[in-house]
Amino acid sequence: MLSRLVLRAAPAALRSLPPPLAVGVLHATRALHTTQQPLAPLPPLPEKGGEVRHGLIPEELFKFLYPKTGVTGPYMLGTGLVLYLLSKEIYVINHETVAAICILSVIIYGVKKYGAAVAAFADKLNEEKVAVALAVKNKAIQTLETAIEEEKKEQWRVEGRGYLFDAKRNNVAMLLESNYRERLLLVYNEVKKRLDYQVAMQLLRRQKEQEHMIQWVEKNVVQSITPQQQKESIAKCILDLKALSKSAQAAV
Amino acid sequence: MNLSFFDQFASPCLLGIPLILLSLLFPTLLLPALDKRWLPNRLSALQLWLLNQITKQLMMPLDKKGHKWAMILTSLMILLLTTNLLGLLPYTFTPTTQLSMNMALAFPLWLATLLTGLRTQPSATLGHLLPEGTPTPLIPALILIETTSLLIRPLALGVRLTANLTAGHLLIQLISTATLALLPLMPTVSILTSSILLLLTILELAVAMIQAYVFVLLLSLYLQENI
Repeated sequence: MLSRLVLRAAPAALRSLPPPLAVGVLHATRALHTTQQPLAPLPPLPEKGGEVRHGLIPEELFKFLYPKTGVTGPYMLGTGLVLYLLSKEIYVINHETVAAICILSVIIYGVKKYGAAVAAFADKLNEEKVAVALAVKNKAIQTLETAIEEEKKEQWRVEGRGYLFDAKRNNVAMLLESNYRERLLLVYNEVKKRLDYQVAMQLLRRQKEQEHMIQWVEKNVVQSITPQQQKESIAKCILDLKALSKSAQAAV
Repeated sequence: MNLSFFDQFASPCLLGIPLILLSLLFPTLLLPALDKRWLPNRLSALQLWLLNQITKQLMMPLDKKGHKWAMILTSLMILLLTTNLLGLLPYTFTPTTQLSMNMALAFPLWLATLLTGLRTQPSATLGHLLPEGTPTPLIPALILIETTSLLIRPLALGVRLTANLTAGHLLIQLISTATLALLPLMPTVSILTSSILLLLTILELAVAMIQAYVFVLLLSLYLQENI
């Protein structure tokens, strides 16, 4: 029961500590296996590491010594310590000292020159990871948005369906109408053909009757012309012609 | 304390307890614990990137069977890198200057590659003892020579690492002693010597990293031949 209390209190307690301590406490208590590890949520990583001066000495020392010894306090302490070690030969200057100076100068030079670049590289590695994940998320969002657009377009298309059907209906009506008119024309033509035939028949009959009659009349007239009449008409014609020729010659 | 030149190579001992194991395990304390987070802090990110690069480089020429060696080769690489680089600091003990230590690393690993080769593809492994295209009268001599070169590999691996590191450390000691000794006598020459020492330090940094890489690379090459 007590462990359950600790379990419930643990995340809140962790969150109350400053982030570097929280992470440290999390890892330290895990080794003891006294409680279940408060797994979620993991305390957040601190934004930046502890403040240090000259790359080595934590800022807390300076803050601690400031009230009593001011700004130069820690430096005096350091100088005093070094001088004490040297003068009492607790630290002996031998060849290792020279080697130490060399290697430390190389290291410090390297850190000062390339430190920022390496940190930027590490940040870039992390950012690339995040960028890949973000790209996946954005792509998914993009796909869904495109799907929404497509869907809306489909819905708009559905609205236009009514117009489509109207147009089709009109088409069909026109087809029917034109078909009907064609058939009407056909009927009219057929009827006209029949009537024309009848008219042609009548005309033909009349024509034949006329011809027949003319021929009969001519035959009878020719038969009725006697030879005497023929001679007289010929003589008259000759006299007329002579008269005409005389008048024609006079005209010329 | 007054040091002789070879005190740095003495295996550390405290009250009769040998500390060599501690000196081997110490570098792991300096490497950040592998975070279970997705976005780690800068140091972890760099360490992960370095491990990835090393593993890729070593495992690229090997086929899938060789990938079983990835863990041991990468951890060997990290061990050698860290111990060599830490040894450049003053008053530190470099475990890899001890021939016993390097032979203990080189001999079993080389033997493992050889036995793997003899077990899985014995004729191919023995075939390595005769290069292609040798003229017939040379064959017996060449086989003997190749066998010797094969058997000398672990010795070469161990001694190469030992010699390089020991020589480097010794040179640093000697030149720094010279600098210190010349300082009251001829300061200008002392400064010249110290500039030589600076260059030597940079060289030693490079050598430390290169020797570690060469050791592991050669082992992976022997593995390639035999797997």
